[in-house]
Parts: sequence; C-alpha cells; structure tokens
Amino acid sequence: MIHKREILEKLSNHLLKINETINPEVKAYIDGYVGPFSQALKENYKIAEAEKLPLCQDTGIVEFFVFLGNEVRLEEPIFSTLNEVVEKVYTENPFRFSLVSDPLFERKNTKNNIPAVVHIFQISGKSLEIKFLVKGGGSENLSALFMLKPSINVQELKDLIIGHVKENGAKGCPPLHVGIGIGGTSDKAMVLSKLALTKSFKERNQNPVYADFEEELLKDLNTLKIGFQGLKEGASIFSVHVEYAPTHVATLPVGVSLDCYLCRKGVVKFEDG
Amino acid sequence: MDEIKKLKVRELLQYTGELIVMRDAGHQRLLELVSENSKLPVDLNEKIVFYAGPANPPKNSKIGVIGPTTSERMDKYLEMIFKLGVLATVGKGKRSDLAVKLCVKYKRVYFITPSGAAAYLSKCVKDIKVLAFPELGPEAIYNISVKDFPLMVAIDTNGNQIF
Repeated sequence: MIHKREILEKLSNHLLKINETINPEVKAYIDGYVGPFSQALKENYKIAEAEKLPLCQDTGIVEFFVFLGNEVRLEEPIFSTLNEVVEKVYTENPFRFSLVSDPLFERKNTKNNIPAVVHIFQISGKSLEIKFLVKGGGSENLSALFMLKPSINVQELKDLIIGHVKENGAKGCPPLHVGIGIGGTSDKAMVLSKLALTKSFKERNQNPVYADFEEELLKDLNTLKIGFQGLKEGASIFSVHVEYAPTHVATLPVGVSLDCYLCRKGVVKFEDG
Repeated sequence: MDEIKKLKVRELLQYTGELIVMRDAGHQRLLELVSENSKLPVDLNEKIVFYAGPANPPKNSKIGVIGPTTSERMDKYLEMIFKLGVLATVGKGKRSDLAVKLCVKYKRVYFITPSGAAAYLSKCVKDIKVLAFPELGPEAIYNISVKDFPLMVAIDTNGNQIF
C-alpha cells in the first residue's frame, strides 16, 4: 500500500517548491541573459525563493501524468489525492486561484485552484510515478492541433510548427519549451505534446530519427530570434521534445504545446512495499 | 497627455504613480455596463490600465505577487477604454493590428513590463485596493500605487511597435 499521507507530503512539497524555486536548467539561461528586463528576471527568482513567493502570479492549472503500476494499492482514487494536494498547496500559500468552474457561462472562480487535470497511464509493477506541469494560461492559449494528411513530408511539418511558433511565440513568455505530440488520435496527440514538456532540456528521444527531428527543429526555431520576453535578444527556444504513438492509416494528428520560460514541472516516484 | 506623445518605441522608463488593474472579466463587465448606458463603478479618465490579476497576498501583507497577462486578449475592449479616457495600457506580448491603429487614432501608448517576474514586480507595489467586482477574485478591478515600476514602450502614438 502506498499511503495517501506519503503522496500528500511528498507531492505537496514538490509542487510548492517548483512554484517558488527557479528550474535549474532555466536559471543558467536567465543568468546569461543581458537584454531588456534582465535585472528584473534575475532579481525575481532570488526574491521568490528568499521570501517564499510564487515566481509568477499565474500559478496555473496543474496537469498530472500518472504512471500507475498494476500492483500498486492506493487508499483512494489517485485523482482525489491529487486534487487534495493542489487544494492544500494553493490555499495555504500566496498563490492565485486561476480556475473557473463553468467555462462558458458563469465562469465562477473555484477558489481553490481545483480540479487539476489528471491523465492516468497504467503500467506493470509496483511503482507509482507522477509527473506534473504547472501550466499558465498565456502559454496554454498557444496550444494547437493539426490534423494532417499522412502524405505530408517532414519539411512541411517542420514549416507548419515553425510558422505556429513564429506567429504566437512572443505571447507565451519566451524562451519557450516546445512539446510536440505526433500520432494516436486528436486527443492523444495533445496529451503527448504536454507529456513532452515534462522532459529535461538535454533529454532526446530514444528513437534516433525522432531525436534528429527534435534537434533540427530546435535549431530552426532558434533562428526565429524571438528572444526573452519576445524582445529579440537572448534564447528563443530552450528545447523541443517529441512524443509519438501509432496512428490510423488515414490520419496524422500533430499536437503542439508551448511552455513559458519558467518551465515549472516536476516528478515524484513511490514504491509499493 | 503631452508626455505620452513624446514617448518613443523601445524607450525604458520607471513609473511611479497609480495603475488600474483589470483583465478579461473586468473589461467584459464594463462593456456590458457601457452598452446599457449604466453608471460605471470606476473612473478611467486619464488612467493607465495594467492587464493583470494578482495572486493571493502572503500572510501579514495585502500585496500578492503581480505581473502582466497577454494583452492581445483585451484588444476587443481597447477602443472602449480609450473612449473612457485611458491614456495607456500595460501588459505583455504583441497586440493586433487593430490595437496599433487605435494607439495612433487616439494618441495612446502600449507599454510592456516583464512577464514571469511577479515576485519582483510586487516589490514595486506600495498599496492595493479593490475598486469594483470583488466577487471576481483575481479578476476584480483594483487600483495599485507603484514606485519605480519598469515599463518599455511597445507601441508609440505614431504606431511604431517592438514586435
């Protein structure tokens, strides 16, 4: 049995930490940046950590990717525990409640930042791995789904992605992390594009063909010169990651997700027994 | 007003004064009131509007972290607030061609302020109070007093723009 208390403690600490502490991979880029507002960005992460304040006022919608072993026993459904974690962290700290319950008509604030978005993937064994993103609304609004013809060639796909980032990138608090989901169905491609954002910058796809695609796309996207804050100075793209899945013969779904320069993400792992 | 016309694109300044904090829901409520010819709960004449929604304040403080949201979402309300007397807007990111045209037509400017730097910006905020729609939480309309608040001119009154 993995006790609920254990998940609550470990995950709450981690979720709190990534809202207040700069991602170490990102820190190196900020420290090397000398363009407009560079002082504010450097001071920001120092103040946030020292005073336990969130790095960004948009403390986001929390998106979880749960890899649940089939031999794992839990005290309650995992989404209940995850919502409890988010509610606890967001109500006990100076974070923002950014969620509204009914999206179209009332748009009434839920006042606790839940529900979180939870994707569950069953795996074999006794481990429970939870990856998560703290996703701000500005970058989330730049998500895109392309339902393409299978006859499209790789260069055409790259041009489509580059065109999307060129048009929208400056709105998402660049430098950006770019997540691409290829294959599956329309919804699967989007989830894969989000999952791609949980990877660390230097990781590459295990399939060398997709690894090359990531590298080439990163190089091409950085020629866009979007820069920090969209001001054309400093890095534009931190990294590009692709996740892929088998798809129908007639389809080629491609999901694109962009993450803001803070890249607030984490992973925690538990073992049953 | 004359000072606004002198500002040139990419110019950096440190602003000390008042800002009206307002985002999507606050603008929408104002639009509804304007279309009904109802009295507005805020006076926007000669004010600067900051597109933002603060986080909850820490214990023993009333000032939560604050930073700009994507300005382009507010473009459909821009002419309305210019007609109400707003001198300038503050946010993040590129705006629509319409917004650029409106800045020229009404001789107004658009500033950007650093995004993802909310802990830093909150140190420039000296006071905050709710002006209208408290039930909207972070989307209520607030007035903040700021000191040395960093701004960069992103669209000037001649329509020159950064992005």
